Amino acid sequence: MSDENSEVQAMDDRLRETLSAMMDDQADELAVRRVLSHHDQPAVRDQWQRWQRIRDVIHETPSGHAGLDVRDAVSASLDRSASADDSHRQAVRRRHAPWRWSAVAMITFGVAIGFGAGSGWDVMSGTGSDSLVPVQAQVPAAAQDSAVPQVTLQGLDARQREQVSRYLLEHAQNNSVVAGQGAVGYARLTSMSGTGY
Amino acid sequence: MIMSERRQPGPAAQLKEAPAGPTMKPDAEQTRPSAPDGQTDLQLVRKARQGDRSAFDLLVLKYQSRVASIISRYIYDSQEVLDLTQETFVKAYRAIERFRGDSAFYTWLYRIAVNTAKNFLEARGRRPQGVADVNDAESFEDGFRLRDVGSPEGFLQRDQLREALEAAIGSLPEELRSAFLLREYEGLSYEDIARILECPIGTVRSRIFRARDAIDRQLGPMLDNT
Repeated sequence: MSDENSEVQAMDDRLRETLSAMMDDQADELAVRRVLSHHDQPAVRDQWQRWQRIRDVIHETPSGHAGLDVRDAVSASLDRSASADDSHRQAVRRRHAPWRWSAVAMITFGVAIGFGAGSGWDVMSGTGSDSLVPVQAQVPAAAQDSAVPQVTLQGLDARQREQVSRYLLEHAQNNSVVAGQGAVGYARLTSMSGTGY
Repeated sequence: MIMSERRQPGPAAQLKEAPAGPTMKPDAEQTRPSAPDGQTDLQLVRKARQGDRSAFDLLVLKYQSRVASIISRYIYDSQEVLDLTQETFVKAYRAIERFRGDSAFYTWLYRIAVNTAKNFLEARGRRPQGVADVNDAESFEDGFRLRDVGSPEGFLQRDQLREALEAAIGSLPEELRSAFLLREYEGLSYEDIARILECPIGTVRSRIFRARDAIDRQLGPMLDNT
């Protein structure tokens, strides 16, 4: 008790008067903020709780639970759930991280394969979309031997490079017209290729 | 009907005898509190939404007894009542973003408490034993009129506390007593009290604080024991 009283005394009278006004809905936002930012929150809570109990007696709030205090339990429960949420988020992040990198790798690989396919497809069978299937079928076999040199643009001659460039530009241009989202890609390709498209 | 008849406490009689400025008429216009009800609650809710747990702590301390009383309407096991009271506040904190302020915070909390109790009983295949209803929160928004289901010891303690409270109020200097009673029993705003007592609002605020402080000091050990 004496400890509690000394805790209460840690708040100055001005702050306690503000807390009293808060009891009566007569404190402004700034005053509430001042109370909540007081360094000794246990003293604030203790004083608040004591006055609330007095009010409960005055207004005959059912007293079967007058002495109960669930604040600590509520606070602990919220802390637990907050830390559980944090660890869940971290676990999800950890679980998804390898997939994310795998997805990036797969997309990169797919794009590279696309370049490879593009480079082979005119050389092998001239024009026409029907030539796409055999070329796609051949790529994995080629990739098994030495995938990297064949799928990079560096292995292309000038004509093939021009065709890939043209293809990409057309693709980006179509995309920018249809979806309105490829304009940047189109601009970037145009500026990089220097072909005048 | 879940409410018990509200007793007229002693200090209310003292108030009538107190020569507190102009005569107080018991008409609705004068006795209706003009203070912005629930203003502090809304301020605390706003802070709690911003993650200020100290603000939510004050709401818990303010309403925990009333929430426990609501749940007691449905559940008689005291440990379960405690658990569900705790659960009610945890749910309230998690859902506080959804509190729009259309109703008083206590009304909203009351609904959560009733639903928590009902869900608990349904999960155990038990029918609600109590008679409280969500609508009660609207009817008795101040929550002060719920039936008491406390233990005999609780009743005894409360009676003793009440007697001590009345004695403490009776021993207050007259100007403090008048301000305190007008606020606590009549529910008047500081502004109305200032008009009645013919003094500045700041004086009213100070007197009410000093009255509370004096009562707290007198009841000190008893409040600790309840």
